[in-house]
Amino acid sequence: MSDWIAIGALAAVGLLIPIGMMTVSALLRPSVPETGKSTTYESGETPTGGTRIRFNIQYYMVALLFVVFDIETVLLFPWAVIYRPAIEAGVPMTDLLWPMLTFVGILAIGLGWAWRTGAVEWARSSRAASRKTERDINT
Amino acid sequence: MGTVQLFPEFISQTLGLSGVLGDVVGSLVAAAVVGNIVLAFTGVAGPWAKRKITAAFTDRIAVNRIGPFGLLIIPAAAVQLLAKELIVPEGVDRPTWDLAPIVLPASALLGFSVIPMGRLGPVNLQIADPEVGLALVFAFASIASVSLVMAGYASNNKYSMLGGLRAVAQNLAYEIPLIVTAMSVVIFAGTLQMSGIVAAQTDVLFSVGGFDVPTWYAFVNPFAFVLFLTANMAEIGRNPFDIPEAPTEIVAGYQTEYSSAYFVLFYLGEFVHVFLGGAILAVTFLGGASGPGPESIGFLWFVVKIWGFFLFTQWARSALPRVRIDQLIEIGWKGMLVLSFANLVLTAVIVGVIA
Repeated sequence: MSDWIAIGALAAVGLLIPIGMMTVSALLRPSVPETGKSTTYESGETPTGGTRIRFNIQYYMVALLFVVFDIETVLLFPWAVIYRPAIEAGVPMTDLLWPMLTFVGILAIGLGWAWRTGAVEWARSSRAASRKTERDINT
Repeated sequence: MGTVQLFPEFISQTLGLSGVLGDVVGSLVAAAVVGNIVLAFTGVAGPWAKRKITAAFTDRIAVNRIGPFGLLIIPAAAVQLLAKELIVPEGVDRPTWDLAPIVLPASALLGFSVIPMGRLGPVNLQIADPEVGLALVFAFASIASVSLVMAGYASNNKYSMLGGLRAVAQNLAYEIPLIVTAMSVVIFAGTLQMSGIVAAQTDVLFSVGGFDVPTWYAFVNPFAFVLFLTANMAEIGRNPFDIPEAPTEIVAGYQTEYSSAYFVLFYLGEFVHVFLGGAILAVTFLGGASGPGPESIGFLWFVVKIWGFFLFTQWARSALPRVRIDQLIEIGWKGMLVLSFANLVLTAVIVGVIA
């Protein structure tokens, strides 16, 4: 029995359930179109401006770091799987640990540098930084 | 682990089918059964248990009008929600807006394909047991974030957009600590196969007054357990990490513009995701379906464990304030990431010394 046939079967069921619910709902539900009903929700106000604008994603440096660390975790998985069997087969522990420690260490240096330069923080735009907040007024 | 018969094989043998036909039919029936078990959990959890638990925490009564203990609210809520009018807001990105509520429950359900849910009588409720099980389940669970971004972008709503972007930021913050902590379990077990990880937790750690404490990794390495639990709460987006939804800040985040069946599907997908998070936690740290009593009631222990996790999430929901998104980035990168790598190296040294 192939595992992947079974996983594919659950994928099919997983798609069928939501599609089935949508179909049932489409048969049951009323449709009462009214003007104003389909307005984009903006806390009851008339929407102003578009949504798809240029937007400061304040964590893009973190996102770049994430890519590096994500690949690192993928590369560490094979090491983690063979670690215990290799130890039990009599390979000295230091032979197994040093390559991993070196690999993680290089990235740790990178993280330390990013930490110092403030890259792993929510970037504050200069406009937001200059704006007075309630806390500033109170002090 | 070829000795344990998986659920699809059991069905194809019971039906007397063999070959490819047997594989396909067995797989489909098994998948339908597992899918419906999970749906039943979410059906009880969503309209009923969640309200009852929150009410108990806040000293209220909650649903008690329809049926015993208000249980018949479940079919009532299902019919009510499915029969609601679907409002399609102006300017939504149509195929994406419709696909997002399909992707979320589908990805969470797909994660259950490799979860060993234990035995119920002669049946071993596990659909598949590939050698890469643990990596696969994290891969499936991560697809959920894509759906949140799809919903956030396609809705053409500013709150939804913020919710979708927050979902990405949250994903960046917890994903690596989560997987690196799970890797410390892999070092102990020496395999990624789910049944292998469960089997590695059946030894006796020590005995207290005639009661054997098993080598569940939660007992072997409680530090990793707490770390994984925290990262898992962020993965499933529950308090204190329900930042993408944040009802008091951005209305309902990515699902602001959804109504009718589409809203139900998001709600359902989130609950399936909570149960998937509980299932991953149970398999990696709580010995899977093991517990006192014969092996044939293992499924019941598994249900107890994932409902225990659900109760924990609801407890956290009632008791903990939400962290801010910039705080989560710092918790993830300056706290959990460093701790998880420290845990990994420490685990490797300890295993190297004792093995």
